[in-house]
Amino acid sequence: MSTATERERGAGNGRGAGSGRGAGNGRDAAGPNERVLEPTIFELSSPGRTGHRLPPLDVPEIDLGAAFGTALREAPPELPELSEPEVVRHFTRLAEMNHHVDRAIYPLGSCTMKYNPKINEDVAALPGLAGVHPEAEGEYAQGSIALLHHLGRLLCEISGMDAVSLQPPAGASGELAGMLIVRAYHSDRGNPRSRVIVPDSAHGTNPASVALAGYEAIEIASGPDGRIDVDALRAAVDDETAAVMITNPNTLGVFETRIHEIVDVVHAAGGLVYLDGANLNASLGVVRPGDEGFDIMHFNLHKTFSAPHGGGGPGSGPVGVMAHLAQYLPYPVAARDETKAEGYEYYMDYDRPKSIGRVHAAYGNFLVAVKAYAYILTLGPAGLRRVAENAVLNANYLQKLLAPHYDLPYGGYCQHEFVLSASRQKEESGVTALDIAKRLLDYGLHAPTIYFPLIVKEALMIEPTETESRESLDRFADVMLAIARESRESPELVTGAPTTTPVGRLDEARAAKDLDVAWEND
Amino acid sequence: MPYVPNTDRDRRAMLDTIGAASVDELFADVPAELRTSGDLDVPGPLSELELLRHMRKLASANRTTDDVVSFLGGGVYDTVVPSAVRHITGLPHFYTAYTPYQAEASQGTLQSIYEFQSLIARLTGLPVANASMYDGASAAAEACVAALAVTRKRKILLSATTNPALRAVTKTYLGASGAEVVELPSRDGVTDVDVLGDALGDAAAVVVQHPNFFGLLEPVAEIGERVSESSALLVSSVDPISLALLAPPSAYGAEIAVGEGQCLGAPVAFGGPLLGFMATTRKHVRRLPGRIIGGATDDEGRRGYIMTLQTREQHIRREKATSNICTNQGLVALGATVYLSLLGKAGLRELAVQLASKARYAADALSHVRGVKLRFDGPFFREFVVELPFDAARTKCELSKIAIWPGINCGCYYDDMKNCLLVTVSERHTREDIDTLASALEAIIATGGTA
Amino acid sequence: MGNGDLRYTDTHEWLNIEDGEVTIGLTEYAQGELGDIVFIELPEVGRAVETGDVLTTVESVKSVSEIYAPVAGEITGANEALDADPGLINTDAEGEGWILKMMLAPDADLSAFMTAEDYKAHTKG
Repeated sequence: MSTATERERGAGNGRGAGSGRGAGNGRDAAGPNERVLEPTIFELSSPGRTGHRLPPLDVPEIDLGAAFGTALREAPPELPELSEPEVVRHFTRLAEMNHHVDRAIYPLGSCTMKYNPKINEDVAALPGLAGVHPEAEGEYAQGSIALLHHLGRLLCEISGMDAVSLQPPAGASGELAGMLIVRAYHSDRGNPRSRVIVPDSAHGTNPASVALAGYEAIEIASGPDGRIDVDALRAAVDDETAAVMITNPNTLGVFETRIHEIVDVVHAAGGLVYLDGANLNASLGVVRPGDEGFDIMHFNLHKTFSAPHGGGGPGSGPVGVMAHLAQYLPYPVAARDETKAEGYEYYMDYDRPKSIGRVHAAYGNFLVAVKAYAYILTLGPAGLRRVAENAVLNANYLQKLLAPHYDLPYGGYCQHEFVLSASRQKEESGVTALDIAKRLLDYGLHAPTIYFPLIVKEALMIEPTETESRESLDRFADVMLAIARESRESPELVTGAPTTTPVGRLDEARAAKDLDVAWEND
Repeated sequence: MPYVPNTDRDRRAMLDTIGAASVDELFADVPAELRTSGDLDVPGPLSELELLRHMRKLASANRTTDDVVSFLGGGVYDTVVPSAVRHITGLPHFYTAYTPYQAEASQGTLQSIYEFQSLIARLTGLPVANASMYDGASAAAEACVAALAVTRKRKILLSATTNPALRAVTKTYLGASGAEVVELPSRDGVTDVDVLGDALGDAAAVVVQHPNFFGLLEPVAEIGERVSESSALLVSSVDPISLALLAPPSAYGAEIAVGEGQCLGAPVAFGGPLLGFMATTRKHVRRLPGRIIGGATDDEGRRGYIMTLQTREQHIRREKATSNICTNQGLVALGATVYLSLLGKAGLRELAVQLASKARYAADALSHVRGVKLRFDGPFFREFVVELPFDAARTKCELSKIAIWPGINCGCYYDDMKNCLLVTVSERHTREDIDTLASALEAIIATGGTA
Repeated sequence: MGNGDLRYTDTHEWLNIEDGEVTIGLTEYAQGELGDIVFIELPEVGRAVETGDVLTTVESVKSVSEIYAPVAGEITGANEALDADPGLINTDAEGEGWILKMMLAPDADLSAFMTAEDYKAHTKG
């Protein structure tokens, strides 16, 4: 047996220690029957109600039977029936059950949950941007194509890459595009090669993308300082190595100081070096991946460039490449013709015979690109550098405040994030990283990323971002110190958390066994 | 700087706490020779006013349905979006949250996605839906990946009447899988069922679109019957609005339903964000890619929601995951959930009836123009193909001079359809809009091709 | 099946060999490490496997484990009861929670397995 796991055993389950819920937290005492905080939209339905009026039908109504015959469905789908105020109240009540960045710190490591500027929402809602059909002739979409082209050039300048495609709609899609570019490049040289090397600290999307691109993922262990072990890398690289995927700064928040050597080792064997740009926030204006020697990278516009995460998307994961790989980028690419041979300046270039193909039905998540573009222009060059500096300063400040109270497996200055371990708490009182995460919710804060990276036991991966104030960081540190104290003195408070959230810990094992993924009317 | 609270005084105090002399010292691990010297060549900084002016200028270089009468569609539809959709998706509680990793502090997102899954299940007739995909094209591609794993066969049959973008993305996704992607030819604008029958032998999946790219209803009952006699899975890409009227994928034996959900309350947005959805049978639930939200209870009996079946996903199964997808289209899925809740059972049906009625009216009006005929005879839902006496590209160009966009030039995607336009109607179109298109076409044809 | 007769692998499978047929499951120790088992993909009866092949996967809430073939042979049976109640592996790992049966290949190598006592020492180390 071998096991791929996220958490240590049992950690995900509700446990019996939840009896410490205080009175006055707005909840009833435990009872045998299921209780409901907000009914589903289906339970709120009442026959005959509707929440929208269509414009009147001013042409003859079609005879459905004559038009569609046996293709018709027997009974209409059971959609809910509610008036507009009922719908709005339902979703507003749901909204109130969420933690979000506009409320308080959301320090998920490697997720870069920074503040989402309001002006960006306004510009993305401009009718002239939100209302353009993707099939509009280029002549009538000059603003949109120009924006995509400009943003591509800005991302090139920021990253040191030579060309960018904004088509991938998320980071994982950018990774897939990048790996397919690797395959196309090597195939053109006669052998696609078979393996891609990924450090053991990598995001799970990396090996998954490698597999989807038809490569075998080879994991190499990190060295004692949390960085790539260059000797291990040298031993793993050979003429079947298509690429190495690197996150820099890596998921431990440390910069790969030997990046030059790493790049040389891979290039000497004919391989390519890929950067997972999830952590680019630490590098803005400080160091450019292209200058570090990377051949390909993806950006996460919803992380580094402040586009909101939307409860899990839409994101945007542009893929950037150095000049020798530009011909393989997904088509079409926003391009510029200053001579205006066709009568206009910007066009979508479909004439790319070596392209890996399309990865999106249109041009990617355009409105996310609009927000990233607005963000870059708002910041300007000095502002971009300030982002990285303050992201790194905030992380180091928080690391300094927390280090005496939790284990810090990889010390020294961190970049934009750092990883603590709750091993001490677990050993002393049985309090796990999961318990600490849940207790943070009780204090009205969000938890860090937990149990990742996999190479740190009881990992708490903390990325405050530059948009947190010193007071916000102090508050977070105070709470983390309080939880460390509670773990020693009254661990049941921590293991029984959360008690102030709408629900307590949910029984994940039962949910996985008795699968309920769609509401069924009684 | 408006988004960074720290002042120089704050920075000084924080550096003192850290024990560092300068912020620069914190970057000591970055080799000096790699550091960027000087400023990046990036414009800005701009104030809000300057930014707005610049963005408005870009926007003014575009044309939208506010400026022209547009009959563009082909998978992305310019619909009436109820105001409440934007207001709900504009709540910071939703749009500034992330993937619901901490369930107890994310019940709003979790329950709304559970409701999205439930709505997709009701529309498609298939009991298990995921939390959304990037777009309908990648949803179809991922359905093929799932089918390859389920059947252990290596061939995908992709109907030529599916959306060209769906086919392109599917080929990209499967390009490295070693699977063979075969295009099934069409006859009279729909999948050729006889060719399908002959090709089925060792196929993992058959992918059809219903209604198809030409707007036509596919012979899905017959296709379903043929496919059921093989070990292949039928993947049906559906228009969710059409499902208010048409038999759901479950009724004709599709084991995976996918589709583009942008029309459920999202703007056309130059084609993104879109909204992919995917549903399947209970049997294949463990092959689904992406997030799945499940109902659960806490230790005091409260109903809540969590991300379930996570062992399928990349953060646990890594290279053996069903997909690499992580972030999806959460906020667009929320918008679709609000949209379907507002329209409701009767509203969605009324909308579907309107689309079918206006498409019928438009097809009649255009085919009465001398020289214009319907390219195909079969029933259609919200769009249809007309054949003109001359080049569709030229027609589009001429009509756009008088602010009419008559549809998509099919010649861009099918070599033998240079004179064909895919005309799409929406509930926004009035009878007058359609009559205007007909008379403009008539005028162009009368003058031999100029407006 | 008495524990005394079982043999163990260092990858936490147990085997009970009787007349050329072997019953295979996950050890009591392993189920304890995994926690609540929520799903098992039943192995395909009739499949021929080599030593070290993946027989099937077992899932808990946050982990997925591959069960390897400790010997070569052909899968002759799978424990259908696990389909409805994978928790049998938790409640009776080395009895009712058995996973599959295999007919041993003629050249199957049975020498490398641990006794209960050795395995106990192994899991303590």
